Amino acid sequence: MTPVRDTTAGRRIVVCVGSGGVGKTTVAAAIALDRALAGGRVLVCTIDPARRLANALGLTSLGNVESRVPDHKFAEAGLRAKGELHAMMLDVKRTWDDLVARHAPDPARRERILKNRLYQQMSSALAGSQEYMAMEKLYELATDRDYDLIVLDTPPTAHALDFLDAPDRILDFLGNDAARVLLAPAIGAGKLGLRLAQLGGGYVAKTLARFTGQAALSDLGDFLQGFQGMYEGFKDRAGAVRALLSRPEVGFVLVTSPSPISIDEAMAFHERLHAESMPVAGLVANRVTPDLWPGAAPLPSPEDLASPLGERGGNDRGFARRLAETLAEHQMLAAAERRALERLFEAVSAPYAVVPRLESDVHDLRGLARLAERL
Amino acid sequence: MVTGKGGVGKSTVSAALAVLAARAGKRVLVCEVNARERIAPLLGAPPAGAQIREARPGLFTLNVTPPDAMREYGIMVLKFRTIYDAVFENRLVRHFLRVIPSLAELVMLGKILFEAKSEERGRPRWDVVIVDAPATGHAVQLLRVPSALLDTVPAGPLRGDAEWMQALLLDPARTALAIVTLPEEMPVNEAIDLDAQVRSELGVPRAALFVNAMPEARFTHEEEARLESLAGEPPPLGPAAAAARLQALRAEQAQRYLARARAALDLPTTVLPLLPVAEWGAAAVERIADAIAAAPPEPAP
Repeated sequence: MTPVRDTTAGRRIVVCVGSGGVGKTTVAAAIALDRALAGGRVLVCTIDPARRLANALGLTSLGNVESRVPDHKFAEAGLRAKGELHAMMLDVKRTWDDLVARHAPDPARRERILKNRLYQQMSSALAGSQEYMAMEKLYELATDRDYDLIVLDTPPTAHALDFLDAPDRILDFLGNDAARVLLAPAIGAGKLGLRLAQLGGGYVAKTLARFTGQAALSDLGDFLQGFQGMYEGFKDRAGAVRALLSRPEVGFVLVTSPSPISIDEAMAFHERLHAESMPVAGLVANRVTPDLWPGAAPLPSPEDLASPLGERGGNDRGFARRLAETLAEHQMLAAAERRALERLFEAVSAPYAVVPRLESDVHDLRGLARLAERL
Repeated sequence: MVTGKGGVGKSTVSAALAVLAARAGKRVLVCEVNARERIAPLLGAPPAGAQIREARPGLFTLNVTPPDAMREYGIMVLKFRTIYDAVFENRLVRHFLRVIPSLAELVMLGKILFEAKSEERGRPRWDVVIVDAPATGHAVQLLRVPSALLDTVPAGPLRGDAEWMQALLLDPARTALAIVTLPEEMPVNEAIDLDAQVRSELGVPRAALFVNAMPEARFTHEEEARLESLAGEPPPLGPAAAAARLQALRAEQAQRYLARARAALDLPTTVLPLLPVAEWGAAAVERIADAIAAAPPEPAP
């Protein structure tokens, strides 16, 4: 049974979401590889892949460069791709710069923004910046390129929902009318401090300057002025991205580990996608402890293991005891995870795949192909 | 300051350190930073929210959030509540404050460090303040705020605050940064990157590495060699051997990543056991506290 594979099969865009550390990148790469093996021309866009996974995909640098995974990488893994697999690592700063360049009315304005201290901070440090740029890049790739499938891995946010909230938060920042009103008398003069001092009615602005410092206010004023007139373009674009994400050719794949925290995140995310009519293609429970003792029979005691162990090359009591303990611990964990996941599967009406914790980290194409078979 | 990649057990380690300090008769405050509150529930107490609350004798918790920290800090800076209310409770201003980069971090860090240096009747109010800091990138953002302000802000109250905050953060007699990680690839990579950033940019005194959830080496090499074929046996031996084999493989991988972390980080290290518990709660935290007490962070031999 491969439920998630089936429901993602017809889509043109797959977005993998979930909290940090659940294996989103690996699942994204596996979905992409699977379609490439079947004959599709596929791109996987990752954010911060583990080094060995990056190597497996032939990713050596940032810089938004789409590079094709070479045939010999497939051959080494004993695979033959009927299609093509391309991979790319998102460069947040460059995506921002490109976006500014696209919307700036003239080169002077572009330079002014790119040189602003606050802009430089924002493109790397403002919360939501990475998420916003991931969506922006996705839109660009989806409209300008002719891939059969684009798989987007999303940034490792503390809260998965940040991904959907990011554009609004950044737009709120760029189009902050309150800031414009408060800074309006100062904007244009360049010498904010002077202007603030001159404002008879600038009681509010003066108090704020006492609080934040005037340099910060000047930077902000300069920055917002630079963006004046560009905001509409940004807003339209964000609207288009949102519309794209609601199309049926898009499928969100929720990735979770069996930990309660990550399950809660997945449920919250699902609720949100549902509320916004964004299409959920499936659910992947990753790194699940496999059930090695199915059924209701009691777990074996050390004595139960001693005699078959004796027949198979010798028994020592310590070994039998440790085997029994290890199985018992293993099963306790498996049962706790199953209970937690059942809650999720009941709440989320989407096809789901349960991927057992594999014996080693997935870090090559062969491992990805095996993972895909379990989706 | 306790930080590390998301999901590695920062809150558990923070709670365990707090339990240890409280056991030693100290007055402890544990601060979470704008988080889904976990510390108090981990200790079996109701969530504290934005008000400091005693979770157990001598152990207090607090969840620092931007709006509450902003209000407290604002009133402190402006001296007069009426001015704060007139200006900051203005809807327009509140909207504006949300978009000033780093302001949220500044007021949250300010609140925490203010608690750290506050006094009651001539004595420090807290013996220890433990910060369950946000995950790596956000923790760096938080700890970078004072130095960023010192770089950009001219003289004034804000600069004065940034100065004492930075002095406190950089003082090895008063501040220590602990990194928490798991013996797995991504968390170890992130711990190494974080440590490099702490050294080159932040300068906050590095104190300890906690490698959490370390599976024990339970089987000898000879036993491990037998497990592979035994795993093919019918129940009950087969499944028991299969479970043992998975455990042994995990333990072996974990050893490799532990060695990598130790070699790259050069920090006093405590290795915490992987606990076979289904639900995390006060009992598990006590066990982690015991493990830290039994083997406090020590430099590599």
